[in-house]
Amino acid sequence: MKLPLSRLCPILLSTVLCVTFVGCNVVRFTLNTPITQNDVAFIVPGQTTLADVITKLGTPDSITDSYTGVVATYRFLDMKYSRVNFGWLLKFWSPVDADLLISRTGLGTDALELLCDSNWVVTHHSFLRRLSGHSFNPYPF
Amino acid sequence: MLLFKPLAGIIIVLALIMTQGCAFSRGTLGEDIRSESVDAIKKATTTKAEVLSLLGAPDRLLQVNGRDVFQYYRYDAKVGSLLLILINFSRVSIKSDDLFVIIDREGIVEDVILSKRTDGLKFRFWPFGE
Repeated sequence: MKLPLSRLCPILLSTVLCVTFVGCNVVRFTLNTPITQNDVAFIVPGQTTLADVITKLGTPDSITDSYTGVVATYRFLDMKYSRVNFGWLLKFWSPVDADLLISRTGLGTDALELLCDSNWVVTHHSFLRRLSGHSFNPYPF
Repeated sequence: MLLFKPLAGIIIVLALIMTQGCAFSRGTLGEDIRSESVDAIKKATTTKAEVLSLLGAPDRLLQVNGRDVFQYYRYDAKVGSLLLILINFSRVSIKSDDLFVIIDREGIVEDVILSKRTDGLKFRFWPFGE
């Protein structure tokens, strides 16, 4: 019996997808809720106090001293991990549980840093952008 | 409509066959910061010794802007996993509660800053999107 192309395509596609996703793991790890530029739009350097910021954004993760005042830091972490185990296919035919793994981890750290003067007034603020990227990509090479 | 019902049935059956299981895990670091203890701390009245008796020793002691800052924190992690035959999805969400007690040079509380982020922490397993 000859299968028409319209019926063959979904079967082929499903097979390719199954083989590709065999033994797949997709893991996401997030620390705190990211703060966007819109969230900090209310901060006016030289006017807004740290108390105003805390009222809107919550407490910072750390407060440290500096020569000119105080540095308050809000930290976020976003880690993306994906793994494919091609050896999973052999489970059906081989008594040996063999693994052929490829995996990749993307670690994104982000922070909002506020520099305040000795009166707790925000003088500067900026983001530290080291993002992990948008996609889960297990290809390590 | 007639076509929709068998299709929905097939999808449900496939989902049940493909689903191997779910997993929920939780981890915490530190003790819960009790609101009644924080409420008992009054600005310009409570002393450093009273703060220590109410909350215990701080997790971190900082010297900032000529003041002592006691930091208390608690971390909460929730892990949700959807385990399918071909693919597993997991998501780890971590948030923290932080309390800063700012103490002036005379050893009196100048300010108390508390935020509880863990209240809104949910179990999630879908790793994509926000």
